[in-house]
Amino acid sequence: MLDFGLIQAHTLYLAQDATATAEASGGIDFYSFVNQLLNGIGIVGVLLLTGLGLAITFGVMRIINLAHGEFIMLGAYVTFLMQSAFQMDLLLTIPFAFLGTALVGAVTELTVIRRLYGRPLETLLATWGLSIVIQGVVKLIFSAQLKYVKSPPYISGNLLLMTRQDGTPLISISYYRLFIIAIALLMLGITLYLLYKTPLGRQVRAVAQNRDMAKCLGVNTSLIDLLTFAYGCGLAGIAGAVISSLKSVSPPMGQDYLVDAWMVVVTGGVDKLIGVLAGSFLIGESNAAIAYVLNDPVARVIVLAAVIVLIRYRPEGLFTVQKRA
Amino acid sequence: MVESRSPRIRFGSIGRRKFIKYGSLAVGAGVISACTRGGDTTTSAVTGSSGSAASGDVVKVGVMYSTTGTIAIVEKSLQDATFLAVEQINQGTGPWQGKQGVAGKQIEMVVVNPDSNWDLYNQMAKRLINEDQVSCVLGCYTSASRKSVLPVFEENDAILYYPVYYEGNECSSNVFYTGAAPNQQITDSIPYCYENFGPKGFFIGSDYIYPKESNRIAKAELEAQGGQVVGDEYAALGTTEFITIINKIKQAQPDFVLSNLVGDSIPAFYRQFKDAGITPDQIPIMAYPTTEEEIQAMGPEYAEGHYSSFNYFQTVDTPENKAFVEQFKAKFGDNRVTNGVMEAAYLQTFFMAQAMEQILEAGEEITTSTLREATRGQEFNAPQGKVKIDPDNYHTYLYSRIGRWQADGQAEIVFATPSAVKPIPWSQALYKGRLCVHPTPDDRSDPTQETGNELPVEYLES
Repeated sequence: MLDFGLIQAHTLYLAQDATATAEASGGIDFYSFVNQLLNGIGIVGVLLLTGLGLAITFGVMRIINLAHGEFIMLGAYVTFLMQSAFQMDLLLTIPFAFLGTALVGAVTELTVIRRLYGRPLETLLATWGLSIVIQGVVKLIFSAQLKYVKSPPYISGNLLLMTRQDGTPLISISYYRLFIIAIALLMLGITLYLLYKTPLGRQVRAVAQNRDMAKCLGVNTSLIDLLTFAYGCGLAGIAGAVISSLKSVSPPMGQDYLVDAWMVVVTGGVDKLIGVLAGSFLIGESNAAIAYVLNDPVARVIVLAAVIVLIRYRPEGLFTVQKRA
Repeated sequence: MVESRSPRIRFGSIGRRKFIKYGSLAVGAGVISACTRGGDTTTSAVTGSSGSAASGDVVKVGVMYSTTGTIAIVEKSLQDATFLAVEQINQGTGPWQGKQGVAGKQIEMVVVNPDSNWDLYNQMAKRLINEDQVSCVLGCYTSASRKSVLPVFEENDAILYYPVYYEGNECSSNVFYTGAAPNQQITDSIPYCYENFGPKGFFIGSDYIYPKESNRIAKAELEAQGGQVVGDEYAALGTTEFITIINKIKQAQPDFVLSNLVGDSIPAFYRQFKDAGITPDQIPIMAYPTTEEEIQAMGPEYAEGHYSSFNYFQTVDTPENKAFVEQFKAKFGDNRVTNGVMEAAYLQTFFMAQAMEQILEAGEEITTSTLREATRGQEFNAPQGKVKIDPDNYHTYLYSRIGRWQADGQAEIVFATPSAVKPIPWSQALYKGRLCVHPTPDDRSDPTQETGNELPVEYLES
């Protein structure tokens, strides 16, 4: 048995029955910790997926969108609606979740956001109000009860990387978590492609960098704004659809993801989209590691505090483009 | 001319800008306040009354459940159950067959919504008692909200009917507790786990007073049996990410998990538990706050084979329950389920109505002291079976049951006490021999008594 003395210390409660299991615990601890880090990837996937939409609306458009969590919630409810009305498979509902939330996002842009460009404080208040309105409307339509979303049966079970001698899994990760990461990376790839390899993406970046100049050069900036915001909201909708079957679906569910998504975007930096990946990886894994050594509520406090310290010393986040003063 | 014109233009343009600026702020604020107004709006409704009730012919009762905010998921269904009971009392249907109202008086509900905000519960309670002058209040769900309103009810000497299983260790002259005391939920389920699953328990819960107290009592019970707690983990209220806790459970290899998670966390935990590849044969979950409602939300396939301990399940086989389930579904929809907390909210309304009827028929007025004395010792044939308010400690004789969840989302009852169990407010594992006996008539003196002896399990004679 390998001796990993350094990481033994964290299983405090095992010390209570230290007598019989002490010898074996060194090995179990190590694998268990590896398992925890591997499963931290599962948290990273959710963070990446929920942060991506915000990276578009905040990172590219500089809109402080406090209703982001509600767009995630809307995506989950579209999935619920499609499932209960048409018995649709979860994977098939994803495009509908995207379109549905993108549509609501477009309406929001046209009616609220458009009138508040360049006024972050008012945008913040308006989107906050909007989040309460969306929650209220969803509650009126679907009631406050938790909703049931069926997960696709073919993505169940675990990928076993290592088993004990008696066949019980030692290091494993569930296929659904892997699926979430795959979707998140896929959406990140598509977004990167759209932004950097298509004429439309060039226009989006042009508007983000210098709106007036882009306008002078004939870019229809208001259309670009509309499309970009709707796309960001659509991404949130996809996030909602995919996580709905792993978590719970209820009107206030978005609030939880809002804070996480903001942490990810702020940590990663808003200038480069790839910062979202770095931000979610850093937060997800440090959360998993600290939660393993201590516990979940403490891990959350520590990670949040760390993000605040980070913002103090690097307000632009970790990944930033050099700018001329 | 120029000098006189230019200030006017400046004034005008700034005024317009300011108008837009403050106007948009005001719209935002208006939207927000409109939506949080649920927080302080009071609506009066006389459910089911024909409108003929004159002002002196009603009994005002406060109904205080959050219909917005995080706890709304549960409290809305408690409100529904209360509405059903009041409607039946006012119309003379259901268990109130053959009567109409309480001794001819209709019950008028003053419904408030504290928006899942503990401070608002306190304010709402003050408002109900002082401004609306209600006879009593039906309400609260979490222990945090009960603790928030308790000083209000004690200061103003008013009565609260509280329908929720809770951590115990409280015995107020101003509260009637119609949910389970620790000995009606924990004391039977822990020995059951020890005998059927094994000695090692892993305890989890949401991070607030009820789960922590409840787990503390359960830990003492398990250790008294000879078992041990191999893990004790809490997740922030509303958490839906359980990777770490599940990983720790896998590592600790317990014989069973005791879950005191509440709300949104429940479906997320069960789903991720199954998703992580743990079957109920390997590690079953015994839960307290997990009811038919949460099972329906998570999908029954995730709960199948796990256990809950409660006083009531929708599958309880009594004629009263059959009628209750039928009437509830008729009023609120066929896809709704009933659960233990709703049943408690339902039955406590009848306790209240019976007590009021008794007072009015004796020709007295409904005041706090008459209502308190009349409620003590009330009996009612509830859906779960015959229950009774203990005249000494104001808790309720309730059945203790353990259900194993089936593929259809309903529980197979695997354990039930022969009749309702006498409530013991103070956990005997922690405070051995501590009793709560309110004097008759209740002068609101300290009701705790120390006997030092183990209290026997007593049942209600049926």
